[in-house]
Amino acid sequence: MSVSSVPFRRRPRRLVPVTIGAASILLLAACGGGSISEGNGGEESEGPVKIGLSVPLSGVYAALGEDMTQGFELYLDENDGQLGGRDIEVVKADEGESPQTGVPATSKLVTQNDVSAVVGIVNSATALGLKDTFVQSEVPLIIANAGADELTDDASPYIWRTSFTNGQVGAALGAAVAEELGDKEVFLMAADYAAGHESVDGFRETFTEAGGSIAGEAFTPFGTTSDWQPFLSKVRSSGAGAVYVFYAGAEAVNFVKQYDSFGIGDSAQLYGAGFLTEGGVLEAQGAAAEGVRTSLHYSHLLDTDRNAEFVEAYQAAYDEVPTVYAVQAYDAAAALDLALEDAESTDGAGIADALANVGDIDSPRGTWSFDEDHNPDQPYYLREVQKADGGLANVVLEELTQ
Amino acid sequence: MLSWLDANALSMLNGVALAAVLFLIAVGLSLVFGTMDVLNLAHGAVSLTGAYIGVAFLERDTTIPLFVTAVLAAAAFGMVAGVVLAAMTSSVGDHLRQALLTLGVALIAGDVLREIFGADVESVSAPASLAGAVSVFGRPYPLYRLVIIGISAAIAVVLYIVLERTRVGALVRATVADRAMVEAIGVRTNLVLGGVFGAGAALAAIGGLLAAPILGAQPGLDDTVLLLALVVVVVGGLGSLRGALVGALLVGQVQTLGVALASEYASFLLFAAMAIVLLTRPRGLLPAKTGAHG
Repeated sequence: MSVSSVPFRRRPRRLVPVTIGAASILLLAACGGGSISEGNGGEESEGPVKIGLSVPLSGVYAALGEDMTQGFELYLDENDGQLGGRDIEVVKADEGESPQTGVPATSKLVTQNDVSAVVGIVNSATALGLKDTFVQSEVPLIIANAGADELTDDASPYIWRTSFTNGQVGAALGAAVAEELGDKEVFLMAADYAAGHESVDGFRETFTEAGGSIAGEAFTPFGTTSDWQPFLSKVRSSGAGAVYVFYAGAEAVNFVKQYDSFGIGDSAQLYGAGFLTEGGVLEAQGAAAEGVRTSLHYSHLLDTDRNAEFVEAYQAAYDEVPTVYAVQAYDAAAALDLALEDAESTDGAGIADALANVGDIDSPRGTWSFDEDHNPDQPYYLREVQKADGGLANVVLEELTQ
Repeated sequence: MLSWLDANALSMLNGVALAAVLFLIAVGLSLVFGTMDVLNLAHGAVSLTGAYIGVAFLERDTTIPLFVTAVLAAAAFGMVAGVVLAAMTSSVGDHLRQALLTLGVALIAGDVLREIFGADVESVSAPASLAGAVSVFGRPYPLYRLVIIGISAAIAVVLYIVLERTRVGALVRATVADRAMVEAIGVRTNLVLGGVFGAGAALAAIGGLLAAPILGAQPGLDDTVLLLALVVVVVGGLGSLRGALVGALLVGQVQTLGVALASEYASFLLFAAMAIVLLTRPRGLLPAKTGAHG
C-alpha cells in the first residue's frame, strides 16, 4: 500500500498550481457576482432581508432558546413580519450547548445562507468563537444573551449586545447591598468560570466603593458541584450577614434549595445576579427561593404601561409570562427594526452603520440605548422573590441607581 | 483539635450522606462488572430515569406513602431496564463493543427523557414530614439527608446478607467463579446474570430517585452520576460490595471534607484521590476476591 502510493502522490502536487489557479478564477467570479448584485441595490431591497436567528434549540439551554425565539417572533408578528418597513426572512440555526455546535451552525448562516445580520447566542464561549467571523465578513452579530465582559472589550462595528454584561449585573447591586447591610459583611460565591468571576468582580467593585466589606469568598467547580454544604459551612463560620452569588440553571436550583435547607438564610440574606431566580429555575426552587433578592434588567412584574402591553401580548401568544431572555431577543428585533428604517443598504455593513444611530429603544424593560461599547445602557432593578399571581415571582422593589 | 472537629463535623456527616447515595448507584455498576463482566455505561441514564420517575410522581405535596410508591416504581423500572440491558449485552463479548452499545442506549435514553420532561431543571420535593432540618452538632442539618443514610445502610446490610448468607447469593458467587459448573448442576446462569443486572439497575434507579430532592433532575445529570459511580468503582475495587461501600465513603469525604478544607483545589481533589489510590492499589482498595477479574 505504501509502495504504490508513492507515484500517486506526485501527480496531485503538480496539480496544486492548477487547482489554485482554478480556485482563484472561481473566487474572482464569485466576487464579481457579489459586486454586480450590490450594484443592483434597488432590486435587492425588493426581496426580503434575511436575518439569522441562532439560539439553542437543543441541549441544556434549549429552554432559553425557546424563550428567545418567542420574543423575536412576537416582535415580528406585531409588525406584520416586517422590520424597518422591509419584509424579513428568518433563517434559524441551532446553537446547541457549546461552541463545538454553536460556532459552525452560526457561521453557516453567514457563509452559506448570506444573512444580513444574526440575532441570538446564549453561550459566551460560542459568542467569543464567532466574533472574528462576524467582524471579518462584515455582518452584524446582535448578541441577545451571552454576557461575557470581553465580548465587547474592543468595540467592533459588527458586535452588538441587547442583553447585559456579567459585570454590569453584579455592579448594579453593590451600592444598594452596602447601604442595606450597614456594618455587616458579605460572603461572595460563584461558579468557577468566566461569568461567575466577572459577576463577582463587578459586585465587589461597587460594593467596596460604597463602603462594604467582604467576609470571604469561594468559587465552586463549575458543572461538577452538586453539594454546596462544604461551602455553606464556610459562609456560616465567616459570620457573614449576607451572601452574593452568581449561579444559573441547574446550579441555581440546587444552590438555592440547599441554602434554604441548611438554614443559612436565617442569618444571611441571599443576593445574586438575576439569573439565580429567572424563568424555569424559580419554579424548580419553589418555596426555598422566597425572599431571595437579585438584580436584573427585567421582571415581568415591572409596573410600566409598555411592559403591561408586552406581557399581555406575550401571554396571549404563548400562554406563559415572558422571561428576561424573551425580552432580550424582542429588543434585538426592535433594534434591527430601527436600524433597517434608516439603513442605506440592507447588507451587513449598511445595518451595522445604522445600528450606531438607533438611539433610544422603547423596551418593556424601560428605555435603553447602546453605549459606546455597544452594550445596553439600561436600568437595573432590585427584585425579591415573593408570592404573586398564585405562584412565586420576582417582584420589583426599586430601580437600582448606578 | 476540638474546634477543628466542631467546624468540620457537619462536613464529615454530609460526606456520609453523599456516600450513601453514591453507594446505591455504584454498587450495581460494580456488581454487574464483577459478575457479568459488562461495563454498563447506561447506568447513569437508568439512575436519571429514577430521578424523573420522582418528578412524575411527586410534583407537589409529597407524602411518605407517595414517596414509597415512587421508590417502588423506580425499582420496578430499573429491574426491567436491567434485564433488557442484560439481554442486549449478553451476545456482545468484547468490552469496547459493550461500552459502545450501552453508551448508545444512554444517549438515546437521555434524549427520550429530554423529549418527555423538557430541558428545564426539574425538582423533586422530599416528603413534607422529612423536609425540615434537625439540629446536629448544634447546627441545622436537613433531616432528609439523615434518612438517606439510614435507607442506604439498610440496603447495604440486606445486600450483604443476600450475597454472603443465602442460596441466591451463593449461586451468584458460584456463577462468577465457574459458570460452566453451575450450568452443569442444572442452573440457567443467564437468569442469574439477568437477575444481578436487574437488581443493580433497580438500585441505581432508587439511588437516582433518593438523590433527586438534593440534586434535582435535568439533562446531563446522568453523565455526572455515571462519572462519580465509575470513580467509586475504580477506587473501591471492581465487583465487590465492600469495595463499593469503601469507595463511596472515600469519595463522599473527598467531595465534602476535602472541599471544605481545600476549597481552592475542589475541582482536582476527586481525581487526585483516584490517582493516588490507583498508584498505590491499582486494583482498588477492596477488589473482589473471586470474580471475572478476581
